[in-house]
Amino acid sequence: MKTFSYLLIALFVAFAIVSCQKEDEINPNDKNTVTLEFDNRVGDQKLVLGTTSAKNALNEDFTVTRLNYFVSNISLKNENGTVVKFPNKYFLVKHSDPNSWLIKLEDVPAGNYNEVSYMIGVDSLKSVSDVSQRTGVLDPASYGDDNMYWSWNMGYIFFKMEGKSSAIPMNMMNMTEYQFHVGGFGGMTGKTPNNLKTITLPMTTAAQVRGSVAPQIHIINDVQKVFSGVNQVSIAKSYMTHAPEAGIPIGQNYAKSFIVDHVHNEKD
Amino acid sequence: MKSKLVILLTSGLVYLGVACSHNNAQVIKPEELFKVPANFPKPVYDFSKNPITNDGFELGKALFYDGNLSRDGTISCAECHSQSYAFTHHGHDLSHGIDNKIGIRNAPPIQNMAFQKEFFWDGGVFDLDLFSIAPIENPVEMDEKLGNVLDKLRKQEKYTTLFQKAYGSKDITTERFLKALSQFMLTLVSANSRYDKYVRKEAGGTLTSDELEGLEIFKQKCASCHSGELFTDHSYRNNGLPVYNKDDTGRMRITAAETDSYKFKVPSLRNIAVTAPYMHDGRFYSLDTVLNHYSDGVIDSKTLDAALKQNQALGIALNKDEKLKLIAFLKTLTDDEFLKNKRFAI
Repeated sequence: MKTFSYLLIALFVAFAIVSCQKEDEINPNDKNTVTLEFDNRVGDQKLVLGTTSAKNALNEDFTVTRLNYFVSNISLKNENGTVVKFPNKYFLVKHSDPNSWLIKLEDVPAGNYNEVSYMIGVDSLKSVSDVSQRTGVLDPASYGDDNMYWSWNMGYIFFKMEGKSSAIPMNMMNMTEYQFHVGGFGGMTGKTPNNLKTITLPMTTAAQVRGSVAPQIHIINDVQKVFSGVNQVSIAKSYMTHAPEAGIPIGQNYAKSFIVDHVHNEKD
Repeated sequence: MKSKLVILLTSGLVYLGVACSHNNAQVIKPEELFKVPANFPKPVYDFSKNPITNDGFELGKALFYDGNLSRDGTISCAECHSQSYAFTHHGHDLSHGIDNKIGIRNAPPIQNMAFQKEFFWDGGVFDLDLFSIAPIENPVEMDEKLGNVLDKLRKQEKYTTLFQKAYGSKDITTERFLKALSQFMLTLVSANSRYDKYVRKEAGGTLTSDELEGLEIFKQKCASCHSGELFTDHSYRNNGLPVYNKDDTGRMRITAAETDSYKFKVPSLRNIAVTAPYMHDGRFYSLDTVLNHYSDGVIDSKTLDAALKQNQALGIALNKDEKLKLIAFLKTLTDDEFLKNKRFAI
């Protein structure tokens, strides 16, 4: 009887160990969701549209009244260098719509992912596609008063940031708003400016996808860097940015405005 | 006996069917709606994405003539693209849109769209199916949002019925809306001018000796740019116009290349006699003035087309007689069947 009890305990312990190991092990058949959270900030401040005020490196004050950008061509790289792609998925992050801050990638195979990559914009293939391919956030009819499509120079506005600033010179149109509209995918029939930006970010803590773990990757987009990531962009000079060429310095800046802040790997 | 009855009944049914389709005189076969004229190149448009049907054409036509496409209901496509002037805005240098606002360019004709790879004077749009958004959303043209247009159409039984007929369901989507407009525009083929009949050796294809001489002068002096049966090589060129609007840099607005500054698309010359005023900004009101520009008015600049600066001489050498003959020839490009075709009108 006693022997039997020991055996039972031993079995129980063994089972417990095995099941513990199982949790850490990567079961190739497991899949789960990875969420990218886009947290837009202004330096060390929370971004409240129309309210949060800050100054850029040129000492120009600004607020942000609109902030929208397309995220596409997302991929995750695991510790073995294997890349999982999410083709044909297009997202529009709008700061006015908190639901859009969370991008859910379904059915990601279990693994430890230590790099995330995505494009700000709509790739050239999609930008020249038939209108039947332009649904959801790519439907030019879906934008209302917050347009994300240039009809006169066919293509999507990849990144849009607007706001107020006292740095804007007095002008005939009585404008007090700066408008940074950046797009340009390189052209179809002729070469045109290309502002597509692929952003690749390492993750010091890997996103550990398991059957029971659906990681969340918390990305911070510091819009302060939109003015100074690489180039000093002056609101006084660039407040009307509405064409691909004019948007190049701003595009180069926001390519540097994103970081992975942390990764959540809590169990469901 | 029985089989005779069947035959009789069947032929009766066939007759009824024929009679019904005859009653509806509007039904036109797709191959009648769009045909590649014998003297034309192959179309650029990919019809497999948007096969033309009679119902699609009818829907596109209804949309083309509907002011609901504009913010306040006043401006339809036809406002600036009127059939009798080869779908241009007659009498206006710059096209007038909503609230009588004025654009920066002269409305080009809508004709032979299937044969063009780019649209607008600067070629900013390369897909006919996505063309119509531009005038709808331009604040000085129709100043409406595409989404609002679709919402307005969804509320009208006329359109739910037309969409149902054209696409088999009442759903009004961006794709369906835009492709129906494309269908209508694609059918606007102008290829029955006297010149066409001349080159195709058809009845009515006689040119006078002046017109024939004009054609020869044209071939020597104009056809390097206005080439082929569409009378354009689809390129962008600076034809030496004095710059009236510094900000309108033409093709450079799209490519951002200095080498494209003040270059505009070489327009087709079909129906040219009815599409005054001329040039991207409608600055010339007659063909005489246009030819006088080429003979005496060309201004030199960094991007002036080489064809207009041969042997260090600016412009194209043309005497009075040659100009008269050229104009006589250009008038043979007027296609009255196209301008008066009731199929395109409401």
